[in-house]
This record gives sequence, C-alpha cells and structure tokens, in this order.
Amino acid sequence: MNIKHRAMGNTLELYLSGELDEHSSHSARERLDDLIESAGKNIVVFNLENLNFMDSTGIGVLLGRYKKHKSCNMYIGSSNAYLDKLLKASGIYQIFNKIEE
Amino acid sequence: MKLINRMKLEFDAISINEAFARSVAAAFCVTQNPDMEDINDIKTAVSEAVTNAIVHGYEKSGKGIIILEAELYENQVKITIEDTGKGIENIEEAMQPFYTSKPEDERSGMGFTVMQTFMTSLSVTSEKNKGTKIVMTKKFNDVSEEN
Repeated sequence: MNIKHRAMGNTLELYLSGELDEHSSHSARERLDDLIESAGKNIVVFNLENLNFMDSTGIGVLLGRYKKHKSCNMYIGSSNAYLDKLLKASGIYQIFNKIEE
Repeated sequence: MKLINRMKLEFDAISINEAFARSVAAAFCVTQNPDMEDINDIKTAVSEAVTNAIVHGYEKSGKGIIILEAELYENQVKITIEDTGKGIENIEEAMQPFYTSKPEDERSGMGFTVMQTFMTSLSVTSEKNKGTKIVMTKKFNDVSEEN
C-alpha cells in the first residue's frame, strides 16, 4: 500500500493506493500518524479512490486515526463503488464526513 | 444445483496470505462470470475470515494452518474457511457489530458484520481450543434478470 500527501492551508490530503488489510495495516498506521503529526493541520482528508482493496481492518485503521488525532476534523474525500459499500456497512460516515463531489 | 468445480487449499496462518486467499477465492469463481461487485464481496468476506483466523484464532503466532475450501455451482459459490486455533467462546457476542476482543489493537469489530452484509449466507461453528469453521455462500448477481 502506498500513501501520498499534500498539505495546503489548514488541510492535509492523504492519497491511499494499493491494498489496505491486516498485512499492510501496521506500516499504514505508522506512516499516517507520521504524516498527520508532522503536518499539524486541523483538517485531514482521506482520498481512497485508488485503494483497490480494503476490509474491516482498514476501517479500524481509519477509526484509530480519528481516535488518536482528536484535534483534527477528518473527512473521506473520495472513494470508489466497492469501498463505498464497505464504508457504508461499517458506519464510518457517522464519524467521518464525506465530501460530496 | 449442479456442482461445477471444487478446490481445497491449505496455507500458513500469516498475514501475507490474506491477499493470497482472497485472490484465489475470486479467481476460482471467474468461470461463472460473476460481476465485479460479487467478486469484490467475495474477496472482502474471505479476507475477513482469514484475518480472523490469523489474528484471533492463532493470535498472530504465525503458527498454524488455515484451510480454504470452495465449491462452485452454476450461480453460486460456497466457501469454507477453517482453522484449528483457540476458537470463539461466545459466537453471538463475537458477531455483534463493533464487538472486538482486541480493542487495544484498533480493530473495528466489523468483520462478521461485513461477512454477513457481503455474502448471501454465513454460518459460524467454533469450539474452544479446537478451532473455528466459517461457511459462507454467495449467489451471483444474474445480469440477465436485471432491468
């Protein structure tokens, strides 16, 4: 799994690609925490449209970032049809706002 | 219901095999032309079951094996994922949305909910210190019946 980032104003955008499962979750957690902490922005946007696969472990990773970085407002910027089904089933949109296109 | 194909696979309970198992399960179904949504549902559910076996069944020891079996029918697949790990003491509790026995690991507790939501049927049998067996079926979307 690969993570790119872009900081603008008070916003950090994170672009996740590849596959986020239990196997990749440990490095993903560390990398996301590093990026969120070093950027120090109060808005964090997860762009997931190029994430080819995610399961409930990935949901745990996203929820974990929300719990760990309480001072940040977190958003799902983009996803894809398959991920959206998982994101809806997991109830994550009750915590992360979705940026509508 | 005519059985078209069968397979049985045994692999180590290590996390790199999560991707392997879900890819194999998806590839096994391809001859029946399932749509992308079905393929993705199957991959996600298999990933959940295999992850549960690795993380909970064998507690990430890296020891132990997981058996993945599948039976392919004309318009559905039956997938069985079995481990001989520590088992689930209270299946009803484990299947509750957001329940996790490992909250300190940032686990979402949504594994069984995802399996239930994404598959047509799900059954879980488990015995303490003997292991857990997950049987799931997925009926393929029939494109010709839509519209």
